[in-house]
Amino acid sequence: MKIDQFGMDTISLAGPLEAKLRAIREAGFAQVMLSARDVVGHPQGLDAAVQAVRDSGLRGTGFQVLRDFEGLSGGLHAYKVDIAKSMIEMCAALGCQVLLACSSTSRHATDDTAALARDLRKLATLAIPHGVKVAYEALSWGRTVNRFMQAWTIIEQADCANLGIGLDSFHLFAAKDDLDDLDLLDPQRIYLVQLSDFMWQETPTFEERMTTARTFRVFPGEGVHSEQLARLVIELDRLGYGGDYSFEVFNDDYQQLPLPVVAERARRGAVWLAEDVLRRSEPLPGAMRLGR
Amino acid sequence: MREKTPEREAIGEAPNPLGLDGIEYIEYSTSRPQALGQVLETMGFKPVSRHRSREVLLYRQGGMNIVVNAHAGVVRGSTATDEPAPAIRALALRVRDARVAYERALELGAWDVPMHAQVMELNIPGIHGPGGAHLYFVDRYKDFSIYSVDFVPIPGVDPNPPVVAGLHYFGLVQYIGRDRTDDWTDFYGRLFGFLRLPDETRFGILPKGTLLQSPGDLRTHFYLQLIEPDPATLVYDEEEKFQRIGFGTRDVPAAVVALRQQGVEFVDTDHVKVTPQGALTRGVLQSVSFELVHDERP
Repeated sequence: MKIDQFGMDTISLAGPLEAKLRAIREAGFAQVMLSARDVVGHPQGLDAAVQAVRDSGLRGTGFQVLRDFEGLSGGLHAYKVDIAKSMIEMCAALGCQVLLACSSTSRHATDDTAALARDLRKLATLAIPHGVKVAYEALSWGRTVNRFMQAWTIIEQADCANLGIGLDSFHLFAAKDDLDDLDLLDPQRIYLVQLSDFMWQETPTFEERMTTARTFRVFPGEGVHSEQLARLVIELDRLGYGGDYSFEVFNDDYQQLPLPVVAERARRGAVWLAEDVLRRSEPLPGAMRLGR
Repeated sequence: MREKTPEREAIGEAPNPLGLDGIEYIEYSTSRPQALGQVLETMGFKPVSRHRSREVLLYRQGGMNIVVNAHAGVVRGSTATDEPAPAIRALALRVRDARVAYERALELGAWDVPMHAQVMELNIPGIHGPGGAHLYFVDRYKDFSIYSVDFVPIPGVDPNPPVVAGLHYFGLVQYIGRDRTDDWTDFYGRLFGFLRLPDETRFGILPKGTLLQSPGDLRTHFYLQLIEPDPATLVYDEEEKFQRIGFGTRDVPAAVVALRQQGVEFVDTDHVKVTPQGALTRGVLQSVSFELVHDERP
């Protein structure tokens, strides 16, 4: 199916895990990005959540999110290693091959990039026996790493077979990253691309970025950066990226809408990207198209 | 002779960061210890000691030790001993300083194995390896035997059974998942200093896989052979595990003759045959086979 490369995130939907999985499946998606909160919050526990994901027939795009891991020391570092181990175990139990780790926002973290690389190397090593890859993503309000090329530099420095980059269009656009720099990435080391848009052009401060990112993202095709979003996907395709795209859409309004309504909005975004942007196949005659 | 490097050389920068010095023992977990023991005996191993508190036997042949563990719950949270097929559950490595090696591994991102020693038993530090198997660090192997603490010799048995046909540890074959060669190469390289050999390097008769060579003395180094699933097969197993032991010998055909006399059968098909380069024993007890590899080392 032509939208198989795209998937929804559970975080876009309200309700219990099973209902989210069903809505995503019924909208025609084949994969789902899973959030730890959805899984551990399952009333019947983790095993039941794992079973629900297996029963859904959806493939796990990845598992999110490990925060503020790198750059800590002493007891804080040891604490985060324990958290990371639990996240890796859950990721593996869910059959997900990619754990998303976001760049640290902690003011307790060092800005020494050698130390950040060392910690990411440790995280990647922890993930190896469990068959998990680590996608390191620059949050646009990350303390030291807030541009994707900064994340890439540290990934290269860490030099691990299972450590790659996670790209999130929101953070790229909010930080006004230069998409020409995508050429500098190794497409084999892009482990995840998260797509979303938002409804205004400027997010100059970290606070504005955080508020927008956490409450008012929209699906591809629904915001004001459609042209950039299309360019991002085309550039990645041209670069040779053949991995997954997930829709990382945090939106307070969508949390108040019936699940099939939200999933349908996501499906339209996927069809737009697959047909109009990537031209994966000719559109069906009379198929609904977004005007733009 | 050990390498003439200072004992406390900067950890992490030396080619042999742990002072790795070969294999101390390989451990099988099984619910059928007698059956596995019989298989090991056909390969020349003899039971020499029994564990003081658990259903664990030590088999030996020359300098090679194999531990057969039938003690339920040895791998916490697993049902290892409920499985009918024996499995290689641990590889114990000789290192310069077990505590240093263990702490260094944890610092670099290894998972620790919870200690489960009883009173007056040895705490052997270990980390997680493939598929729930453990990798242990042992530093007391020269003037002191770790087995003298936890094991009681079996009366009337030669504690040092002779070697059959010059067999010695050559290495282990590890099955890995698809596209996992680089991950495991990183793992063994980063934590232990293993070197990936060029792709064209081959030992034995089986042409697949990637070879990693342990650092250390030429006489004690050993190999890990990483084998991904064969993409040509429609349904293949992604399970990761230590699959079999490889024994080195100077004279593979002579070893085959000697082992055949003890009842060992060898695979003889169009693809896999006994050759001077190597041989593969026919699998028994569902999963147990051994590989012979030509190796000039005594």
